Parts: sequence; C-alpha cells; structure tokens
Amino acid sequence: MSLQNILQDWSKYRKGNEEGGFHDYEHLWGLAIDLNKCIGCNACSVACYAENNLAVVGKDKFAKHQEMHWLRVERYWDEPDLGEQAVSDYQSHGASFLPMMCQQCMAATCEPVCPVAATYHTPDGLNAQVYNRCIGSRYCSNNCPYRLRYFNFYSYYEDSWPAPLNMQLNPDLTVRDKGVMEKCTFCVQRIRAAKDVAKHEHRELQDGEFTTACAQTCPTQAIVFGDLLSLHTAGKAESTLSTLWRDQQVELGRTEQHKQNPDKRGYRVLEGLNTDPKVMYLERVREV
Amino acid sequence: MSAMQLFFGRRLLSCQSLRSPGRSLLLPLGFVVALFAAAPLLAEVPNAVAPTETYSGDQVEQPIEFPHDIHAKVNKINCMYCHTYARRSKVAGIPPTSKCMGCHTVIATDKPRIKKLTEYWEKGESPKWKKVHDLPDYVHFTHEKHLQRFIFDNKDMKVENASEVCAFCHGEIKDMTVAQKSRPLTMGFCRRCHEQNKGPFDCWKCHK
Amino acid sequence: MALDKIKRRDFLKIMGWGGAGATLAGCDMPTTVTLEEGKEEVVSYLVPEEYVIPGIGVWYASTCQQCAAGCGVHGRVREGRVLKLEGNPESAVNSGALCQMGQSALQTHYNPDRIQQPLLRSGGALKKVSWDEALAQLQQKAGGRSAWVTGTISGHQAVLLDAYVKATQARHYPVEVVGSPVWNRVCQDMLGDANPRLRIDEADLIVSFGADFLGTWNSPVHFSRQYARFRQGPKRGMLIQIEPAMTLTGANADLWLAIRPGTEGVFALGVANVLVDRYQTSIAGLPADAQKAIRLYTPDHVKDITGVSVDQLMKVAELLKKRGNSLVLAGSTAEGHSYGYQSVASIMLLNILLGNVGKTLQANVHAPAQLAPRVGNTANLVAFAEAAAAGNIDVAFFYGSNPLYLAPQSLGLKGKLDKVGFKVALSSFMDETTAQADLVLPLASALEDWGSHVGAYQNGELQVSIQQPLMEKLYPETRGFGDVMLGLLKQRQVREFALYEDYYAYLRNAVAAMPAALNKAGGNAWNNALQHGVVALNAGSGALRPRAVSLPQPEMAAGDDGYPYHLVPSARLGLWDGRHANIPWLQEAPDQITKVVWDSWVELHPTTAAKLGVARGDTVKIASKAGAIEAKVYVYKGIHPDAIGVPLGQGHDEYGRYAKGRGVNPLSILNDTKDQTTGELALHATRVQLSRTAGKPGDKLVLMGGSESQLGRKMVATVKAEVFARSEGDA
Repeated sequence: MSLQNILQDWSKYRKGNEEGGFHDYEHLWGLAIDLNKCIGCNACSVACYAENNLAVVGKDKFAKHQEMHWLRVERYWDEPDLGEQAVSDYQSHGASFLPMMCQQCMAATCEPVCPVAATYHTPDGLNAQVYNRCIGSRYCSNNCPYRLRYFNFYSYYEDSWPAPLNMQLNPDLTVRDKGVMEKCTFCVQRIRAAKDVAKHEHRELQDGEFTTACAQTCPTQAIVFGDLLSLHTAGKAESTLSTLWRDQQVELGRTEQHKQNPDKRGYRVLEGLNTDPKVMYLERVREV
Repeated sequence: MSAMQLFFGRRLLSCQSLRSPGRSLLLPLGFVVALFAAAPLLAEVPNAVAPTETYSGDQVEQPIEFPHDIHAKVNKINCMYCHTYARRSKVAGIPPTSKCMGCHTVIATDKPRIKKLTEYWEKGESPKWKKVHDLPDYVHFTHEKHLQRFIFDNKDMKVENASEVCAFCHGEIKDMTVAQKSRPLTMGFCRRCHEQNKGPFDCWKCHK
Repeated sequence: MALDKIKRRDFLKIMGWGGAGATLAGCDMPTTVTLEEGKEEVVSYLVPEEYVIPGIGVWYASTCQQCAAGCGVHGRVREGRVLKLEGNPESAVNSGALCQMGQSALQTHYNPDRIQQPLLRSGGALKKVSWDEALAQLQQKAGGRSAWVTGTISGHQAVLLDAYVKATQARHYPVEVVGSPVWNRVCQDMLGDANPRLRIDEADLIVSFGADFLGTWNSPVHFSRQYARFRQGPKRGMLIQIEPAMTLTGANADLWLAIRPGTEGVFALGVANVLVDRYQTSIAGLPADAQKAIRLYTPDHVKDITGVSVDQLMKVAELLKKRGNSLVLAGSTAEGHSYGYQSVASIMLLNILLGNVGKTLQANVHAPAQLAPRVGNTANLVAFAEAAAAGNIDVAFFYGSNPLYLAPQSLGLKGKLDKVGFKVALSSFMDETTAQADLVLPLASALEDWGSHVGAYQNGELQVSIQQPLMEKLYPETRGFGDVMLGLLKQRQVREFALYEDYYAYLRNAVAAMPAALNKAGGNAWNNALQHGVVALNAGSGALRPRAVSLPQPEMAAGDDGYPYHLVPSARLGLWDGRHANIPWLQEAPDQITKVVWDSWVELHPTTAAKLGVARGDTVKIASKAGAIEAKVYVYKGIHPDAIGVPLGQGHDEYGRYAKGRGVNPLSILNDTKDQTTGELALHATRVQLSRTAGKPGDKLVLMGGSESQLGRKMVATVKAEVFARSEGDA
C-alpha cells in the first residue's frame, strides 16, 4: 500500500485533539476495571493464554523478560496514596494489584513510530497489530509507556505447543511467528465473530452480547467490557460500560480529568502522557 | 536468501506482497508466472464487479480423481449442495463421504472411481484430499460473508447461479475435473475486488 | 447448546488426526505450514452430525476437575477439539466465573506427558501391556486385603467405588493436603454442621485467621463471587486477615496482621477477653475451662505470645463489636498445630459470642449420603501409612491422589509401601506414586470422561454437576474412571452393575432415575442435565445449634533453640498441592504475591534476611529434624519475622517435563506432628533452622519484571473507605 494511502486513510483514525479528532467510529471498545474488587488471582491472565494462543517461553526466556503475557497482573507493595508504608514493619494493607493489558489508546504512542504501518487505529477504535505487516523493528514497544507490547524473539510453535498441546490452539487467530510484535487485541476474534452473527441476522450488535476472555472469567467480575461510542458521539446507544464511565465522570480526550465530584474513583493510568487510554480503573479502597 | 530474509523468516512474505501484490514468494519457482494471457470467462453477477486476474496453479493429484465438470456442469448440481458449510461458516468444507454415497449407492456404481469411493465407504474411512485453495494462517477469509453479500443479500442474483460467484475466487471449477487453483488469491487480488465492490478495508477484518 | 442426540460419540471424533498436516474438513487449525498447493491434507467427515459445522464452535456443559470445588464449565468444541473453557453461569458454585486452574484444565487434557497405555511392572521396569492383560493381572492379585487411596471423590463415581470397596472389603482413604478438616470438625462439634453456609456477602466485617478463601480455601471461585458483593458500596465490608505469612486473601485485606505462627487461638481468646472486659459480653454459658481460658488471656499476655500489639487487639475487638454482622474464619495456618483443634475452636467461639450463628454462619444443605463428597484429609494419609507398615494391605489402589509426593519423609511412606504386595495406579500421568506402581491403568482426562459431582462446599443450594466429555479420547487405550470401576465390579460379579455396558449407560440411567421428588427439573431429566450441566436437587437444611466445647489450655511447644523458625508451607491458587505443576500455563503464571515463575522460593521478613545476611535471589538451606531443602530468597514485609514461607507445588521427582526437577517440596521436610484431637498432620508445626548456602551456579530466581514500587506514579491509586462510601452513596 502506498505511503499516500497510509497517510490519508489510516492516520485519520488516529485522534489528534488539536485537529478536532476523528468522529466516524463504528465502535469504541473499552474496559473498566474495579480495583476494589480485583483480588489479583491471575485468572484473567491465564484465560488470555487460552484464548489468544500465547506462547509459554520457559524460565530462561522469562528471565530475559521475553514472556508473552498480553494481560499481566502487576503487584506493587508501596501505596503512595496512603503514605505510611515506609515506616511500617509489615505490609499491613496487603498488596496493590493492577491487571495491565493494552490500553487501546486513542492517541497511541506506538502507532506513529511504526515504519510500515503495521499498527494503526481501526474504525472500532482499537489499536490494531497486523502481524503480516510487522517487520519487527520494535519501535512501537519502545514507545509504549505501559510496556504492553511483546516481541516474538523466537519461533515458539514447536517448543511452546509440543503435540498434542497444539490441538488447543484457537483457529480464529494467528499463531505469531518469529520477528513479529504482538499485544492484547481486546479479543478481536470475539468482536468479529459477534459482529458477523449480528450482520448475518441483519441487526445491530447488542451490548453484553459477548465479552473478552478476561472479563468473562473474572471471579469477582471486576472487569467490564463494552462500547464507549456514546461517550464520543452523541445519539449512540448507551452501554453498561459508557454508563460506568459517565458515572465516574471520566472523559475521553483529556490529559487530566475535571470531575464535579472529586470522590469518584475512576482514573486512567498515566493519562497525563496524553495517550488517551480506553481502559478506566476504579481506585482501590482500604480502611485505614 | 539474504541474512535479512533468514532473520525475519516467513513473515517477509507479507512484506513482499505489500509491494508487489501479484504473487506470493513461497510458491515453487516454476509456477511464479501468472498467466494473464488466457481470456477469463467473466461471470455476470449483478451488483458486483468480478475480478479478472488469473493464475495457473499446480495440477494436484487427488486420491480419487473427482470430476467437478460432470457434477457441476453436466448435472448442474449447485456448488453449495456439496460444499454445504460455505453459506454458514468461514470454511466451505469438503463434503462428507455419506453425501457422496447418497447418490452413488445407485448411480454409476460400476465406474472405477465410484468403486474406489465405495471401498473407502465400506472401510469406514474418508479419502485424504489434498488442499488446493489454501491461505496462510494469518488470513481469515470467510465464505459465509462473501456468499451473503454476493448471493443471498443480492436481490437480482439467483441461487441457482451460485457457481458464478464461486468462480470469482475459484475460477471455472465446473470446467475442471480435479480442482486447480486458477486465481492468485493474493492480498492484491482480494484488495482490488474489495475496492471495486466496496468491501471493508480495515486490515483487522482479515488479519488477526 | 441443545444436545438431544445421544449418539454423541461420533460428533466428538476428530477424524484424520495423527498424520502430519492432515486436518478435518475445513479445519483451519493454526500451524506454520506453507501455502503450497497440494501439500496439506484434508479429511472429511464420514457421516456428519447435523449440528456440527466446521469453523463454528459449539459450547457444551461439563464440570471442572482441577480441585474439589466442582465448578461448572462450558467447553468450546470445534471440529472435535475442545479449545476453551468458561464458567457455567447456571452453576451455583461459580456462576460463570473460573479461576486460573480451571482455565488450565485444557493443558492437563492436552498434556504431552500423558500415559497412553496400561503398564505392568516386569523385571523392575514398567512395560506396555493390553487392557485385557492388565485386568487379568488385577483379577489374579485382587483377592487379598485392599486399600484405595483417592482424592476427594463424590457423585456416582463414589457410588461405584463404595460398591467395589464393599465387595472387596477394602478400606477407602481419601487424602487431600489442601483442605479444612479441622475447621469442619470444629463446625460439626460447635455448630452441628460440618460445612456451614458462609455468608461472606452478608458480613460487614470478616476476621480471617489464615483462611485463604479467595485462593485455596474450600470453594475459592464461589467465595470470590461473594467477596465482590461483600466489597460493594456504599456499605463496603472490611476484611482483617491475621496470619503468619501473606496469602492471596491477606493481600486483599484492609488490615493484615502478622502473627507468630501457632498463636492464632490465643489471639482469639484475647479478643474474647476484651469483649468480656470492655464490652460486657456474657460468657456465663460457656464451659468452665473456656471461661478460664478467656480470663487468662489478657491483652498484655496475648501481646507477649502472639507478637501483635495491644492496640491492634483492641482495634479488632472494637470493630467486631461495633461493625454490624461479622464472620470469623480459621484456615490452615491456625489448624496446622498439635493443638490445632483448640485454636480453631477458640476462633469459632468468637462467632458464638458475637451472635454470628444463624446470620453469617447458616445451616447448609446436604447431598444424599451416597453422592456426598468423601472429603480427603491428611489423617487418612497417616492411617494409610500405618496400615501399610503393619503389612495389612495386599493391594493398594491410587486414584486422584499422589501420596508419595504429599507425605512428609518423616512418615516413611516410601519404605512402608514396599510392604504392599501389589500397587495399582489409576492415573493419567507418571507422578511419584504412579512411578512406584506395579500396574498402571491409564485414565482418560477429565475432559474426555463422564461423571457427576457434588462440590465439597455447597451454598445453600444443592446441585449435582454433570461431567460430560468435551471431546473424543486422545488416546484410545485410556479409559474413564467410571468405566474402569465398572469393569472391576463386573470382575467381582456385583449384580446391580452387570447390566450396564459402560459407565455412560450407568450414569445416564442413574441421573434419569433420580426421584422426581429430588429432582427439580423433571421432564427429560438426562437431556436437561447435559444441557444445563447441573441438576438441582431439593434439599432441606435444618438450623445450626451453637454449642461451645471444652477448651483445655493448649500446650505450646517451647521455643527450640536449635530450630528457631517456623516453617509455613503455603498452598497457592495455581500449582495447588503440586497436582498442577505439569501445566505450563500455571508454571509461567507469576505467583500472585511474589510474582516468581517456574520455581520455588523462600519468603523472609527483612529483619530475618538481615540477620542472615541474605537478599533477594540468594540461596538458603532450610533444615528441619526431618530433612533439608534449598531455595532462593524473596524478602518482603508480608511475613512474620519468626516464619519462613515456602510454597507448595514444586519439587517433583517425576511428573513430566514441566514439573520434574524444578524447585523444592516443603511437605517433604515436615515433622510427623499431628493434631491431638483430629489426628490430622500438623502442617504448620515444623520448626526449622536457616543457613546461607551457595546455591546452584547459574540458577536464578525469576520474577515478573518491573518495579516493586510505584515510584510515586499512581499506577494503583488507593482511596480511603470513607471516600468510597461517599462516592458510592452518591451514585
């Protein structure tokens, strides 16, 4: 595809606040993760391995940070907000867990640096990674402030799925080969399948008709998946997720939220970097 | 092969097709030449622009030399009668042996090919067919969507003429015995058709 | 998800699998083969089932067998392969959710190290034999006194096992290391119900003494669902976790208190003391020695014993008194001592004093006795070892349990097993026990087998969960457990089972024949059962009758100078008791607390680490009177300075490529101390000494990357509960 095509067609999906943004989205898939409910159990992460053909790399490669977990549960010990950990003898408020997957930024820092336009913004607001375009420059990964892009340093097909483990592979998406970058897709194969069914039945996609593997399995239902389009475009159907965002007074297209009610817990990780992520977290709660 | 190619392995293929969408690098050398000379039989599908490119694929040897021409041309059996999953699924499917036997317990039972088929059936086995139209793992083509668009949602299109739509990508199978690849099925081939028929352009529609 | 066709064997078949590149009609299984024409083979169905469409996944209901909780699952089946599991929303246990172990059942099923054929020991080595030979051997040997060692087993498999046990006058020893046997006994004695229904969702305050109900305690997914409601606003429940080493539940506590191992009961009595002293709670109705114990443990005295400050004790007591409905739980760290029963009883006493019985602790429903779970414990492991040592066992059967891995060396089980004439393992994997067997009967995986299950913990709603195969057997020479049992019963000519061709026929008949009075569904019972995955049974529940038990003052072992530290072997939601160490996804999944992968580790408090002069990644040797292990250190403030935490699960000598020779097994160095009342192994009563060693060269502790600290970046923002209450109240 020509450079002209890349510039004209694809960059239009990339938001520029300064240019008024792009408004022709079909969907804006997003998430909300309630850290008051998240228990850090890791079920979401393993569900992601099962759904998305993630390679198991083994201890040695893990030690070199070559692991492929699209969804990782980060754990922090200090609590800057509570301010008292430094002096305590014990971890008296437990741990801080943070499920981290691609934030599907509206102003994704990974997109403009790709020399071959293998990562771009789709009309449903997702940050796509096209494996067969990727040449493995890894610029995107360097530019991601969340460190959520994973590179195939090796071909894992034989090592990660010795027969018959390979029979478990999900045929709805590609097994990535050596030299390719990959990351969380918000289970794009599920999105596509649900859209296909809706289209086949000549109807609109319903809210809650499908969900991502992580949200589906979550034992505390801390993860909510849905469409944020009504936050972005007036007159679109409200989803459970957009109601949740609205209730938390978190808006897209901001580097800082100006909430009427400052007690509302919704926030976006590192939003000050103007990445405009589509994953909203709800603050963890502790009695002190 | 240069060091670059070795390092990037198979993925380089897609890069190449990005620049010259006419053909795939992985095809055996002998078959790289696309035969634009042969005048293609153009299907007349209302509300659609048929692709015109052709390509000459391998003559693949199958366990039973299945005559598509006798079935689809002489006897005018609809493609979807045997490839029954095409309208419902991403894959068209190879017909189950029971479907063959549905007719061939009475029809042409004395022919050598049918005798061979009956042998399989009686052993409770299915023939191991060779794949002719194959796409790489990172291409997610779906038959159902295309049939919906060009046959079922296409008011002027009669289902009896489904083979004209199939011919877009598979060529005139009804003139062949064993199927042979006669369209390049490269990204450029898909793309030009999507352009002309206003198909989706999002990479993630087909690659994921 | 309709399933009316009974001839289901066919549609589960993956045809043509086996040859390189051969795929089913239209199956686009991911590979990295080229796209050359005519190089790949496609095999069609012989006769297709009308509801099977290549390229489209169909979901079927079954039951998860990764632990004894009995979660319902839906499996996605495409072209005869099961690809993904999800929770069954109709199951009262998990209501649609699934934990990481459940997700990983796929890798147990597709594991490359499965046993594919019966094996018989001849000339010292296990050699392949046919099923006919194997069963003939069994018929010949099975005349003598026999014993069955299993994991927790329930449903119709238990019915068959019971029948066989009865026919052969055998003994059945259900064995589990991760469980709550002492809690269940105390509940039986003090509440009249061994498994009371816990209303975590109804509680305003939970004080848990080491009960890891979000991770490993009884029914973790179910309790996690309840926990989400418990935490919902604006009246968000508060969680206090009191334990020597942090569990997953502890990591989610509002207040986490490190307590000296083994002093949980004393702390509970101290709380009772404050309740009496300061809040005028009456203890007049309690037995005299319980009253005496409560009076004895004044806050200052408790502080000296437990190491928890008087302020904290006062705070816990005040919250318990003032903060609405409370629930007090006791887990394995409280249970695992020679006086474990007393500790747990002291803790349960708080529930009685606080009036929780009938509110957050309710009477539960109970499955009919023949289907109810035979819940495993460690007392059975000890009993089995003793029976074996006494030469009382001629034939031992092992199913769903790996006693040679679980039993501490101090029990000497390996030597004792030599006295068992003939050992039969019904197993899918070559684990430590199977490797010692004389006859190995390879089992079908849980996703290939039929069964019915009753969860070890019920939630006031009684369901039998149906396990149906999600695909055809990968290996034709494996057999389902029910089918093996049926074969054994036929060998014994037990009449009521002679009619059934296979276990499927038996199960179908048994489920369909469940009395209509019991079965709420009615109608076509079997089809309903398969379609929904669960059969709801009518079951009444009585009322709890609280009754305090006598509390003789526990004799705590005096500090042993040679062995200054307490070993805390901690179970994890992941590798569990070691049974999941052969699952690559779970090995690669970072531990929830430490984020270590593919290895064992030793948790040390910073002061303990400083005393030894070790830092993260250094190797230490942990020696008890029974043995020694070495592992790498992880230093953090989630452990008491007197305690040494080592996770269960690793340290396998066998068990396939992913598990073998990785890490250490803390169970192996436990002393053979037992709880004096229940006879359970006291898993937390072992004292150890620590020393620094060099470790294996090149061996590193590997953790998920990144910082332990947020470095002020507000990755996880935390707010105080009053802010939460304000914002939720507003909503």
